[in-house]
Amino acid sequence: MNLVIIGLNHCSAPVAVRERVAFPRAQLGAATCELLSAAPVTEVAILSTCNRVEIYALAAAAGQAALALRRYLHSYHKLTEPIDVHLYERHNRDCIAHLLNVVCGLDSMVLGETEILGQVKDAYAAAQTAGATGAALNRLFQKAFAAAKHIRSTTAITRGSTSVANVAVELAEKIFRDLTQSTVMVIGTGAMSEATAKALRSRGAGSILVCGRDRERSGALAGQLGGRAIHYDDWPVEFPKVDIVISATASPHPIVTREKLIPLMKERHQRPLFLIDIGVPRDIETACDELENVYVYNMDDMQQIAKENLAAREREITICRELIAERVARLAEWLEERYK
Amino acid sequence: MTDRYFLWMAFVFYVGASALTLWRLRSERSQSWLHHINVILIVVGFLMQLVGLILRGQNLHRCPLTNPFEVTVFIVWALVLFYLVIGPSYRVSFLGAFTAPVVTLILLTGLLTASDAPHALVLKHSPWVEFHAGIGILACGAFALAFVVAAMDLVQNRQLKSHHPSPTFRLLPAVEQLGVIGVRLLMLGFILLTVGMIGGVISDKLVEAWPWQKVAWAWTTWWVYAALLAARTIGNWRGQKASVATMAAFIFLLTAYWGTSWLAR
Repeated sequence: MNLVIIGLNHCSAPVAVRERVAFPRAQLGAATCELLSAAPVTEVAILSTCNRVEIYALAAAAGQAALALRRYLHSYHKLTEPIDVHLYERHNRDCIAHLLNVVCGLDSMVLGETEILGQVKDAYAAAQTAGATGAALNRLFQKAFAAAKHIRSTTAITRGSTSVANVAVELAEKIFRDLTQSTVMVIGTGAMSEATAKALRSRGAGSILVCGRDRERSGALAGQLGGRAIHYDDWPVEFPKVDIVISATASPHPIVTREKLIPLMKERHQRPLFLIDIGVPRDIETACDELENVYVYNMDDMQQIAKENLAAREREITICRELIAERVARLAEWLEERYK
Repeated sequence: MTDRYFLWMAFVFYVGASALTLWRLRSERSQSWLHHINVILIVVGFLMQLVGLILRGQNLHRCPLTNPFEVTVFIVWALVLFYLVIGPSYRVSFLGAFTAPVVTLILLTGLLTASDAPHALVLKHSPWVEFHAGIGILACGAFALAFVVAAMDLVQNRQLKSHHPSPTFRLLPAVEQLGVIGVRLLMLGFILLTVGMIGGVISDKLVEAWPWQKVAWAWTTWWVYAALLAARTIGNWRGQKASVATMAAFIFLLTAYWGTSWLAR
């Protein structure tokens, strides 16, 4: 018996191809059942995310099974043009290594991201519920999850945020005791400030105030974030209640200055204040950072942190690969022993 | 085996916990099993210290608080007691890791430098005297833990202000949380100190007059902590200023105690 995988990901196929072969989550179970009868495989699981579609299978004849899986992918999605050029195929030891790399986030677009582990768990659960897994795939997936857990805790592959928005969230979590008690103010509505506010909201930020010159736009963003829109001229009035400020205006001069902040900090009893300056030219005067309990971070600071975090993750790849290689060898041995 | 043997054994375990801390900070490890080893090393050190203090108490037939060495050892013991009792309720990551080096340093200072000779001005054996001294030492334990929390706050604050925080910053709690815990520990310490002071005033009247150096030290400490607490609560002192003041207050407490003890000999 052989383990086989057929798939494509963000490296092998553009999004236009990936979106055509993606399996809706609700149809994963039915598709796995269908595959069991459509292809010469005894066990099968389908992983479908925005960045990858992969079919894992156990078959007596690897070549035949791979061919059938390719045909199934084309027929299921009613593809008019062949996508074989985008597909990769791995067998046995390489298949095991591939899955372990995937669950550990080594094969992800954002190196070391952790969301993929949950997605693989969902794919496995769907296949298991559909009765499409057996001894081989059960062992393969369970060992892969254990490996991911071990690698996450013993290496720095998942440590530190690699996007500017998440770096802002990470910093906010090291300033404030509880983000749910924090109020965020977004001054100026741009893509970056929106992404940062969304990231803070997803981590439980209490309330969000959106303030912009364009009332319609700030109202729409406030609606998306579940916050409240305020008029641009009113931001100084609301400012003392705010803990985190994301500023991204097109103002040619700093809108938050040291002189303005000193009385405001008194008013807020010197509670910590996190100022995220995304504006170019900068919206927050550099001297504000000299004030106690005021933390000012601009785009360059956060990009630098994200870059350093990514570099730190990249340095961990070798260690992760070594840990994975040990587990691949053990799993491959078990597979050979069981199906010899 | 003498009490000193157990105190040195305690010191060895605290050194182990401190070494583990340094290694964790260097290697950026935050796994729970490492935290458990840290706690186990501190607990064993704490028990060794307890045995040492009990043996010494049995020899003296009183609470072993008769000279600077014993008081220093007792303050360290109270600090660890507060860490073990109060620490888990706050769930502060790395509190134990920061406590271990402070404990090691104070205990080593006590073992090597503090006078272990019987004090010339040992007061009469009385429950009021022991109540005053015991509660006072517990207050010092709370202030010592506030010192540890302030040190963590200072480190984390500097990391955030640097704009390029090292990976250590991910291991430490939020500055706001450290500020809140620091104030609570100062309040607890201040209440205990005040109760201890009342015991001291009563023993001064009922048992025997305290040496003036001790009285001056106790009242100065009380005023220093009253001012610090007022600054941190009513005056809204937060961040670096508050941390430095909290650390300075505890350093004053220790050095002033050793100084007045030397003067009172």
